[in-house]
Amino acid sequence: MPLDLPVARRTLENGLQVVVSEDHAVPSVSMDLWVDVGSRHEAPGRTGLAHLFEHLMFQGSELVAEGEHMAALMAHGGRANATTSYDRTSYVASVPRNALELALWLEADRQGHLLPALTQANLDIQRDVVVEEKRQRYDSVPYGTALALLGGLVFPSDHPYHHPTIGSMQDLHAATLEDAHAFYTAHYGPGTSVLTLVGDVDVEEGLDLVERYFGHLADATRPRPTATPALPPLTAPVREVVVGGAEIPSERLYLAARLPAVTEPDFVACALAMDALAGLTISRVHERLVLGTEVVSGASASALGLRDGTSLGLLVLDVTEGVDPRAVEQQLATILGEFADHGPREVELEASRADTERSWLEALAGYDERAALLSRATLLLEDPGQVARYVDDVLAVTPEQVGAAAARYLVPDALATLVYRWEEER
Amino acid sequence: MTGTPRVRRRPEVGDPAPWRFPEPARAELPNGLQLLLVDLPGQHVLSLRVALRAPLAQEEPGREGSTLMMARCLDEGTRSRTATELAELAERHGIALGAGAGERRVHLGLEVTGRHLGTALDLLVECLAEPTFPEAEVTRQVRHRLTDIAHELADPTGRAQREFREAYFAAGERARVPVGGSTASVATLTPQMLRERHEALTPHGGVVVLAGDLSGIEDPVGLISATVGAWRPAGAPVDDGPRQSLRADDAARVLLVPREGAGQTELLLGRRGPDRRTPHGWGTYQALALLLGGAPHSRLDRVLREERGWTYGMRLGFRPRQVGGQCVVAGAVRADATLPALQETLRILDTPGSELGEREVREAADFVAMTAPARYLTADSVADELVSLLADGLGPDTVTSTLRQLRELTREQAARAWEEVRTGPGWTVVVVGDPEAIAPVMDAGLGPVQVAGASPLSPRPGSPPPGS
Repeated sequence: MPLDLPVARRTLENGLQVVVSEDHAVPSVSMDLWVDVGSRHEAPGRTGLAHLFEHLMFQGSELVAEGEHMAALMAHGGRANATTSYDRTSYVASVPRNALELALWLEADRQGHLLPALTQANLDIQRDVVVEEKRQRYDSVPYGTALALLGGLVFPSDHPYHHPTIGSMQDLHAATLEDAHAFYTAHYGPGTSVLTLVGDVDVEEGLDLVERYFGHLADATRPRPTATPALPPLTAPVREVVVGGAEIPSERLYLAARLPAVTEPDFVACALAMDALAGLTISRVHERLVLGTEVVSGASASALGLRDGTSLGLLVLDVTEGVDPRAVEQQLATILGEFADHGPREVELEASRADTERSWLEALAGYDERAALLSRATLLLEDPGQVARYVDDVLAVTPEQVGAAAARYLVPDALATLVYRWEEER
Repeated sequence: MTGTPRVRRRPEVGDPAPWRFPEPARAELPNGLQLLLVDLPGQHVLSLRVALRAPLAQEEPGREGSTLMMARCLDEGTRSRTATELAELAERHGIALGAGAGERRVHLGLEVTGRHLGTALDLLVECLAEPTFPEAEVTRQVRHRLTDIAHELADPTGRAQREFREAYFAAGERARVPVGGSTASVATLTPQMLRERHEALTPHGGVVVLAGDLSGIEDPVGLISATVGAWRPAGAPVDDGPRQSLRADDAARVLLVPREGAGQTELLLGRRGPDRRTPHGWGTYQALALLLGGAPHSRLDRVLREERGWTYGMRLGFRPRQVGGQCVVAGAVRADATLPALQETLRILDTPGSELGEREVREAADFVAMTAPARYLTADSVADELVSLLADGLGPDTVTSTLRQLRELTREQAARAWEEVRTGPGWTVVVVGDPEAIAPVMDAGLGPVQVAGASPLSPRPGSPPPGS
């Protein structure tokens, strides 16, 4: 049975999609605006711009002074943040009920009227901040380069997911104010956006307020790029070694798979297969390699759902000190082969389903994450009802489907391997 | 174009809607544990927390980390089930079980959907009442903890925290060693040591909190009484009276920690701060944390991030302990700006209370007070707050009284609270970065400077595999 989650949806005349989910538990509203622009929309030589905008959008707009967006919301008990990914940029705010109109007004001003405030000076400063962000989050931490390297191994060089969201610092430095203006005009507008409100607001009132503050925006965005064809699984294993020196705390293996797009029904079967393989304590990678042979000190699995043809599946294994990672790769290949041949054990599938149900309900417990899931379902899956249905979708997947997904997408030949080693391999 | 005109005028913000922190129902369980129940309609994942007295200060020297390791190993085998059987029981029912330790308490936590609460409680009691701490599982957990420590120290933030603890606290203080222990102490832990720590656990002075949508749970008090409330170990009551951790006499100094090739410098500054019983009001310090270092427009980031672009963010916070606490400032800065960024940070932190503005104090206090309804929406956030308050000896009405105090907070009160921190014993400053980048700090006249020893490296290749 679908979850009991009220969802109303309307598309304004200018193309803005609006979703409202009412919940009066506390006098607060979360707003999550998803823009259909992420690193996959960036042109060669101009990477990193989508993420840079996440910063620039806090630097003022036509009617809002620099830094005022955040300060004005916070002064009334609001919080605001933004994140960028391959497929989208998300602008979130959580405000007390009485500050909802202020939040909508501030958001509409920057979503529609940023350019008068986008100057060379704040472009330069935020570019510096992004350089520091990259150093802090990617360059200064062990394995911080992993996702960027894996993107390079799994996706061909002209593929939209080949480069990481943070982008190239060289590209960022080369970006001019004109580039920034052009990027905003091409991608930011009501026609590329979904706005979700969750919390203490009535449906009609919520829809009316969004119309009031966003209804005047005109859309001048470029059409979204045509879909990239799905990539078939890799047909021969790819392997890269990073020599990290003694600064890396353990030797580590990353295995990455091309999975179906998040819009494909098979994606759910793949997500369950990843979980059953390595996501839980009773998963076989954990049982055999962490508890059994003890060649691994920790293992995890994740399926990163992406829209443009191909998603990314990841297995991560920390190799026990003194064990050759190549021996772990061999043991893992045996496990993957068995899983592909025989599918999940009953306990692995039941536990994956139970874990998915609890995690999904936990995610829906707060307004912020509920708004994020609704915006995601609307923008990426074109159906906000997916949020209420997802647990049912997961429960409906059969062991045969999980086995078939693993046999196609998660066999050793279909995986790219990235190894962080202390020294060169002999 | 549509017919809706643009609204150019900024909307007014009205008065906030009334809201109160959820009021828990209280009961005493048959074994003396205090129970708090909070019914939160719509919160379908229930959060259960158990906090039991187990002061870290009672760990024997050299066995630091035994309390946390004991808590982590509770589900690694019981008289009735192996570790794998326990994991299977939990995961088949979607039960997330966690364990942790703090300065005075061991914490157990469960997240579970309502229909599996009974199973989860049975599992929890089994882990609490009859753990066996099997040799193989403990050995593996010890090895994993050692790996975790290596990972923590490989991260510049983790390295800075370790150096800070050792520089700030006096010799012999338990607080000099992380809750989970050091590489040396963890390596000595045995199943017998964990059993001894476990034998000290008792319901006396302990707390249980259950929060979430309780509409589908018939007689929650009866259910908890028959499970966690029926746990009666032999241990004697534990004395965990308040005790202050002593600061080192020479804590006011600069410690340089070389890290070859670092692209950024990690700064960590700390000095004496309040605990939650401070006469200035804990809420006052939450507001000060925001005003000084909690947002891009806070005093620190307004300059370091937004004007200079030196950092992704510099944060200030207060860490309460059972008696007293710390004010801590941390962030990573551009390597070539190490000294100016540190000088600028110290200058901003030296802002006298009298220079704090009426408006920034009001806005910070309002932020802390007005974000409360959204902060305490979910079952886990309510359960965590309640268990943390009660474990600290404070009542469940503390949130509401703190919010009241914040609404009335004046600039003068905030100024006095900050002056107490600002005029206290000086900063302990830890600077982790490339030797060349941090060298200018040496002669900058910032007080006594020391250089830390070589960084502890990862285990080298070629060491023997486990069990051989």
